[in-house]
Amino acid sequence: MSYSTFNKNQINPLKEPMFFGNSVNVARYDQQKHSVFEKLIEKQISFFWRPEEVDVSRDRVDFQALTESEKHIFISNLKYQTLLDSVQGRSPNIALLPIVSIPELETWIETWSFFETIHSRSYTHILRNLFTDPSEVFEDIVINEEIQKRANDISKYYDDLIFYTQLWQTHGEGEWEVDGAKHIVNMRELKKKLFLCINSVNALEAVRFYVSFACTFAFAERDLMEGNSKIIRLIARDENLHLVSTQQIINLWQYGQDDPEMKEIAEELREEALQIFMNAVEQEKQWAHYLFRNGSMIGLNEEMLCQYVEYIANMRMEAIGFDAPFKQRSNPLPWMNKYLVSDNVQVAPQEAEITSYLVGQIDSEVSASDLGDFEL
Amino acid sequence: MSQVFKVKVNGQHELTVDASQGNTLLEALEQAGLEPHYHCRNGFCGACRVQLTAGDVTYINDPLAFIRPGDCLACCCVPASDIEINQ
Ligand code: FES
Ligand SMILES: [Fe+2]
Ligand SMILES: [Fe+2]
Repeated sequence: MSYSTFNKNQINPLKEPMFFGNSVNVARYDQQKHSVFEKLIEKQISFFWRPEEVDVSRDRVDFQALTESEKHIFISNLKYQTLLDSVQGRSPNIALLPIVSIPELETWIETWSFFETIHSRSYTHILRNLFTDPSEVFEDIVINEEIQKRANDISKYYDDLIFYTQLWQTHGEGEWEVDGAKHIVNMRELKKKLFLCINSVNALEAVRFYVSFACTFAFAERDLMEGNSKIIRLIARDENLHLVSTQQIINLWQYGQDDPEMKEIAEELREEALQIFMNAVEQEKQWAHYLFRNGSMIGLNEEMLCQYVEYIANMRMEAIGFDAPFKQRSNPLPWMNKYLVSDNVQVAPQEAEITSYLVGQIDSEVSASDLGDFEL
Repeated sequence: MSQVFKVKVNGQHELTVDASQGNTLLEALEQAGLEPHYHCRNGFCGACRVQLTAGDVTYINDPLAFIRPGDCLACCCVPASDIEINQ
């Protein structure tokens, strides 16, 4: 079943499943099968921001004053986030666009991926400010073992789905040999791969950023690296939206509100989906361990971070119908919340600053004497 | 019709909420000192999800998070009757 960029058949997108139906032809949003995706697009676009609008110049001074272990924490987290957004800036497009069947979801996927590219660009913005030449940091992302361990788990479900979709679109269903390996391609297998892939992405958006977010906001609590923290607040807001979209897809399947075969598959692969989530949680805890191996930072240690991961994981797992597996029911880092509040709602000014003054240049209060010791 | 409803939390605490005041269920829980979970406070993250075991709520903002049967999102709803919730 080869892909066409403009399906000539007359199709009724209101009757199509989210994936593996007829490919989309007219990009129309006047009628929607699952209107939530159109609302997500609107919301995401209303969050538009540019990294360059956030002044990070003061962070350079702060960074120089961090201890070696704190620098390790800060830079390692940026590397990990760079990996995550590198994957997310392309993979939803490559894996999901060839198989999506309703226009509002197709456009959501593109919008979602586009925002991940803003995140990627923001890491360059942050790093360029900290280092005259940030190459070493970027180059380490494909060498660093701790990052590699995670990269593999994050990309493998996408890669598998992409590979099987390509086989299906070029050869159709059947048994195909590629480089000496046999592959059975049929619709059921494709849908299973899709299900696992979405669960893996869901786990990524749900928990994989939060160790890093917690460290960033712990620095901000000490009035350090505030430019970075402002950027991460904007990223965190976007990630919450991405997460809601994968939760929507999973729930629509589970409740039989979309493709009935996906409902069966959701039941059949429930344990595997659970395992994907639990593995992601475990990897995040190991990441916390790696971050703090040279020493902690004020206000945060490995144990608190792991408790926070469990707290977040409980919430995220309940949202897709799993029982909360961890006993951490209260928020061990209550100060995190003020950084995660969306500004569309007015909160008490003492609780959270308002992001509108993030976008639009902030006066950086760095004087020449502050920078006197540094080579620019 | 009176907009004042009783909210029973985890089968123990009971509070009274005046739905006409424009306060969300989340705010009412906070005012009662119950430390409910939240992130976005804007209906798009699902962090404020609580189980709604009895009664009904009305959404004052259109939530984007999926609401599983038997749940409600405290940050964007008000009670529409006496309710019981678990958090
Ligand atoms: S706090 Fe985010 S949905 Fe209610
Ligand atoms: Fe991202
Ligand atoms: Fe994301």
